Amino acid sequence: MHDAERITLAHGNGGRRTRELIDEIFATRLGGPDLDTEVDAARLRLPGDDWAVTVDGFTVEPIEFPGGDIGALAVHGTVNDLSVSGAEPVHLSVSAFLEEGLEFEVLVRLVDSFARAAKEAGVTVVAGDTKVVPRGHGGGAYFTTTGLGRIVRGDLSAKSVRPGDVILVSGPVGDHGIAVMLARESFDLRGDVRSDCASVLPLCKTVWDVPGLRFLRDPTRGGIATVAHELSRAARATVRLREAEIPVRDPVRGVCEMLGYDPYYLACEGRVVAVVAPDEADVVLERWRNADGGADARLIGRVDEGPARVVLETSIGGSRILDELEDDPLPRIC
Amino acid sequence: MSDAKAREWIEAIHQLDLPSRVRVMNVCGGHERTLSMAGIRSVLPKNVEIIPGPGCPVCVCPEEDLYLAIQIALHRDATVMTFGDMLRVPTNVPKREVRTLEQARAAGARVVPIASPSEVWDAAMANPSERFVFFAAGFETTMAPVAARIAEGLPENVDLLISGRRTWPAVATLLAGDRAAFDGLIAPGHVAAVMGPEEWLFVPETHGIPSAVSGFRPDQLLSALYSVLRQLVEKTPVLENCYAHAVPAGGNAQARRLLDTVFEIVDAPWRGIGTLPESGYGLRPAYAARDARVLHADLADESRKRMGEMPAGCGCADVVLGRIYPTECALYGTTCVPRSPVGPCMVSDEGACRIWWAGGIRSPEDLRTLHA
Ligand code: SF4
Repeated sequence: MHDAERITLAHGNGGRRTRELIDEIFATRLGGPDLDTEVDAARLRLPGDDWAVTVDGFTVEPIEFPGGDIGALAVHGTVNDLSVSGAEPVHLSVSAFLEEGLEFEVLVRLVDSFARAAKEAGVTVVAGDTKVVPRGHGGGAYFTTTGLGRIVRGDLSAKSVRPGDVILVSGPVGDHGIAVMLARESFDLRGDVRSDCASVLPLCKTVWDVPGLRFLRDPTRGGIATVAHELSRAARATVRLREAEIPVRDPVRGVCEMLGYDPYYLACEGRVVAVVAPDEADVVLERWRNADGGADARLIGRVDEGPARVVLETSIGGSRILDELEDDPLPRIC
Repeated sequence: MSDAKAREWIEAIHQLDLPSRVRVMNVCGGHERTLSMAGIRSVLPKNVEIIPGPGCPVCVCPEEDLYLAIQIALHRDATVMTFGDMLRVPTNVPKREVRTLEQARAAGARVVPIASPSEVWDAAMANPSERFVFFAAGFETTMAPVAARIAEGLPENVDLLISGRRTWPAVATLLAGDRAAFDGLIAPGHVAAVMGPEEWLFVPETHGIPSAVSGFRPDQLLSALYSVLRQLVEKTPVLENCYAHAVPAGGNAQARRLLDTVFEIVDAPWRGIGTLPESGYGLRPAYAARDARVLHADLADESRKRMGEMPAGCGCADVVLGRIYPTECALYGTTCVPRSPVGPCMVSDEGACRIWWAGGIRSPEDLRTLHA
């Protein structure tokens, strides 16, 4: 493959090649009819609602993995942050850091995947930027996305969680963490683990109007254990998770057992944790199970009076403290 | 299904008419991990204690061996390859010097963590003009595959630094005193699968202490624990094989033969504990030309042997011997945490301190008070 089919430093020099890169690869795929790639800032007309804004950077290795890639991840991650905040995603901006040597073919796949994810979530890309970094200075491609969303349900917060509330998860945990790790490492482990990388907008949207809904969160880095800690701190209460109820796929469990990981700390990229008043748990479960990606939704725990800590009730009937994540077992997964 | 079985064993254990204090020791990091992660201690009768014993080969790897590995990495034109958890184990050299293999690597030395011996062979074949030193610390379960690879053929460019240890001599040492350190033993399933369960017969036969070979699932550990406790109540100490489908009589004859081809049994130092008779694997004379101890003898510091203790203030030696619980070390969770470990037991995945920390145990009360 010759250089014309790869990113070179010249693609970052601001000249003709930069313009071609933006116009031919990014704008054609991501831009709507109104996108003007020549201006420095997009002009938006926003109605007088409350708006949520979020920004997130994505650095996954490898940039393509079973079940997803960094392009899809960069959209879903930001769309999901808005969704769990009770906001309907509307606009997105993207900043791409491309490493010298990245093949165009790969870049096109990533941008196509980005475009698909954006379309699916109903967001328009209104602004973008690209930079090229020298070879060896940035694992293929990094993306940063900023999302703007219209707030539909504005009172979701860990602070409104109280003892008695129950904790639900929309599907099996740990798929993303294990899929990416298996794709990266040369372990002799077979197993069909795909990332759960997906938009959680449909799952969130379908429960925004449940009055007893207190809090939504997508358990990315640090997994559901880390969400549980956030809850226990905010509510100053004991969070109890029931091991037997937490859905974990068999291959994920197998890899965890072999390598000594706790699946509860592994990242998900397409799941939601909800905290809800106990009498409305069934409503949320019912709606999730009828929505895209919620078939395996479960009630996995509850919030109890007691010191701020997270207790795992093990499947043999014992209990242990689920500590905050100490050292990250899996670097660079989202 | 195995969870239901586990609950049945728990129920059966609660039915036993046990003495007021029972101490059962396990001697395997894998067992300790299951005990902690499944919260097994929290469901047992209050008078049953399970003590983590010598189950971590990295924890007892002599300080002078680790020191030698670091010096080779720093001063010789060679790549040191070793199992991952060895990298962060500290030596006792002053803080401003290079104390760990990880620091040696940061200082530019070639140190490569591995998960399996075959990685050493692959690297050596792929880079025939470079030299490699395979620093292998482990119990029988690790040394058997190491021996198998060596017996198959050692690449010309690989030298060996072997710190292999046997498990039962440490237990024999614990039982040598007047008063036994424990009332029952859960014998290690993987070790027994290689070496044969018979190695552990001395525990009931010589010392009258109930014993059972166990697997690694919670229900398997609970069935072995039940066996030990029932023997105790009935005063019929035997060695029961509760992991029979994986542990045949005689173990794995082929693996034992290979161990014997490559290694001889030697008296060996255990860090912080001293020299235990017949407790180590040494390279047979046929491999002397590839023995890093011989090749790099000039880098070894003889005076270190006297310093072969644990780092100052670290109770790892007592933890390894089951004399104290991790939580009873004054440094546990204060200056010693996984992020900045003081002793090897907080570094290794098989170290009791590390396992307890990962299992969320912060104080002795945490073992029992979690029930709602
Ligand atoms: S807590 Fe740290 S210092 Fe204490 S025994 Fe364990 S490893 Fe050693």
